Amino acid sequence: MAKKIVVDPIPRIEGHLRIEAKVNDNNIIEEAYSSGTMWRGIEVILRGRDPRDAWAFAERICGVCTTVHALASVRCVEDALGIEVPTNARIIRNLMNATQQTQDHLVHFYHLHALDWVDVVSALKADPKMTSDIAQSISSWPKSSVGYFKDLQQRLIGFVESGQLGIFSNGYWGHPAYKLPPEVNLIGVAHYLEALDFQKEIVKIHTIFGGKNPHPNYLVGGMACAIDPNSDTAINIERLAMVKKIIDQTQQFIDQVYIPDLIAIAGFYKEWLYGGGLGNYLSYGDFPETSLDDFKTLLWPRGAILGKDLTTVHDVDPRDAAHVTEEVSHSWYTYSKGDDKGLHPWEGETKPAYSGPKPPFEHLDTDKKYSWLKTPRWKNHPMEVGPLARVLIAYAKGDPMIKDTVGLVLSRLQVGPEALFSTLGRTAARGIECKQTAGFMRHFYDQLVDNIKKGDYRTFNSDRWDPSTWPADCKGFGYSEAPRGSLGHWIHIQEQKIKEYQIVVPSTWNASPRDAKGNSGAYEAALKGTPMANPEQPLEIIRTVHSFDPCLACASHVFDMNGQEVTSVRIV
Amino acid sequence: MKYNRINVLGLGNILFGDEGFGVEAIRAFEKEKEYPEMVQFVDGGTQGLYLLDYIESSDAVMVFDALIPLDFESRVYVYHKDELPAFIHRKMSSHQMGLSELLGIAQLHGRMPERFVLIGIPPRSLDLGSGLSGEARELLDEAVGEGKAILQGWLGE
Repeated sequence: MAKKIVVDPIPRIEGHLRIEAKVNDNNIIEEAYSSGTMWRGIEVILRGRDPRDAWAFAERICGVCTTVHALASVRCVEDALGIEVPTNARIIRNLMNATQQTQDHLVHFYHLHALDWVDVVSALKADPKMTSDIAQSISSWPKSSVGYFKDLQQRLIGFVESGQLGIFSNGYWGHPAYKLPPEVNLIGVAHYLEALDFQKEIVKIHTIFGGKNPHPNYLVGGMACAIDPNSDTAINIERLAMVKKIIDQTQQFIDQVYIPDLIAIAGFYKEWLYGGGLGNYLSYGDFPETSLDDFKTLLWPRGAILGKDLTTVHDVDPRDAAHVTEEVSHSWYTYSKGDDKGLHPWEGETKPAYSGPKPPFEHLDTDKKYSWLKTPRWKNHPMEVGPLARVLIAYAKGDPMIKDTVGLVLSRLQVGPEALFSTLGRTAARGIECKQTAGFMRHFYDQLVDNIKKGDYRTFNSDRWDPSTWPADCKGFGYSEAPRGSLGHWIHIQEQKIKEYQIVVPSTWNASPRDAKGNSGAYEAALKGTPMANPEQPLEIIRTVHSFDPCLACASHVFDMNGQEVTSVRIV
Repeated sequence: MKYNRINVLGLGNILFGDEGFGVEAIRAFEKEKEYPEMVQFVDGGTQGLYLLDYIESSDAVMVFDALIPLDFESRVYVYHKDELPAFIHRKMSSHQMGLSELLGIAQLHGRMPERFVLIGIPPRSLDLGSGLSGEARELLDEAVGEGKAILQGWLGE
């Protein structure tokens, strides 16, 4: 029975990112422009506030990559004030960050990206017996019986027949760029649903250490949780046992579901090696084993790769004004000394100056300013950040664990490392990284238990809590590798208040507009050269932009070379 | 009483005018009266995926939200379970899991609550920081009244 009433709840957030692509007569993308269409403005809100409060504001930038801004914020304040956090606080932060990354990658793969590769409607045609055979051949995951897939397929059929999946006409089901057999599509749908249930277990770790999720509690000087094995109200043996159980389940899910699915799906798309883009990769590194300044001990190493050259990993120093800069030649801001002059974030300015067309508009004038995102550059190079950057840098540096996992995935797919420089490579790197960070969860859990066994219950260093102990003028840098890539917070504290605060988020690196020299940002470069089966259904654009895990809602517009709009797709 | 757990959810962003209607509605709803313990009021804000458990774990769910109906008249709209389309939209970002996705997933999981109702109004103003528009404020009491009547019915079953 078809339903007649349509309710379209107001989208929670929309239109943060807009892609304008120009395609030629052969439907190949010749140019792409990425525009952030909404201004964040949190830097202005932070001015004049107590630096100890900054994390609570900064954390609200995002409710999805929750925790990462709080982490970078407390780190930058501690850096400015010269605070070393206790060992337990370092470990708990690492454990929470690894939890965040693992959960985020799972959600991204199954709930945001999988449907770019998995055709839901095709799953209706799957043979449950064959589906079960395939599932059992790739994994020992127990939910793989014929009956299990048959039940799910029945529910799916009922769902479609009820007319409620009118959405399927809205999606690109049946698009020629979908290559999976029906049975693999059905496995994909099954695990889409299982992953939804599972991901909510993982974040319980945040509630145990941070009091709640999203937006767990942090603290300048440590963590706001007490450790006492004999207390009911502190981190005790019972809670630690719960954390351990969740970590066990997480590793099992990744090893038995995520990685086998990734390999099975990628195996059908081996020829779709578009979307590589810049070939420049940057990571600040994260997961310190000692102090944050001792970046040689970071489990995710720091470095940069230029021009896909894996033989050289360049040193990166985000405190150096010659390394990290932001310019605004194509962004709706003004700088006092010229919009094309890159400013290091400690000298950064946030003066909005919109000069784009009055909405609603058809297209942006991309020769001029066209985005609310600034243009960050490393030594004047546009850089890609995120899982692929981290995996490549660790791989190039010879990290043994990463070499093993990358080797396993590449050999199962029977492709060489050059396949990593692609949309699919980015998606594969996220899975490889997820397996790695789940391993970090266990590593830091073991560290925490060992340290508590030694009798160390300390989680907070109060030496510099009192503002009278602070220098009159100081600057700090805090970093983190968020799920989407390198995150930096730069603070300038004067007379106990925030004088200036600058945040350069991963999606600004990846979605940045062109710089003064005309160099494209990472999304823009990745889309160039991609052939489209049907420009009115820009699945290929969505696939590549999704592979970066954008922290932005998106609208996509495809124009022909004469500037005529072929299609306007609002992805809501 | 038939239901062990009843959730009343308010959705929306109170910083964007009538987009915050759902949240304002549950604030008005719970202010006036003590309800039995099984009735929980949840300010869902702009959370998406995190709200799934509030839908799947209860027997009856009432949601207040700003919505866009086809005819877009300035009135209170009440939709029951079978009148709602459930979508799985193509998503760019996990910010965007909306109510329709949550319902779609709850159905595929086979965990839709026995009773479900959505109460809302079409927004007139979505301007930053302005609070509810005059029209939305006028409809607020009526929407809450509809909700109270339905809740009374559920509690009496």
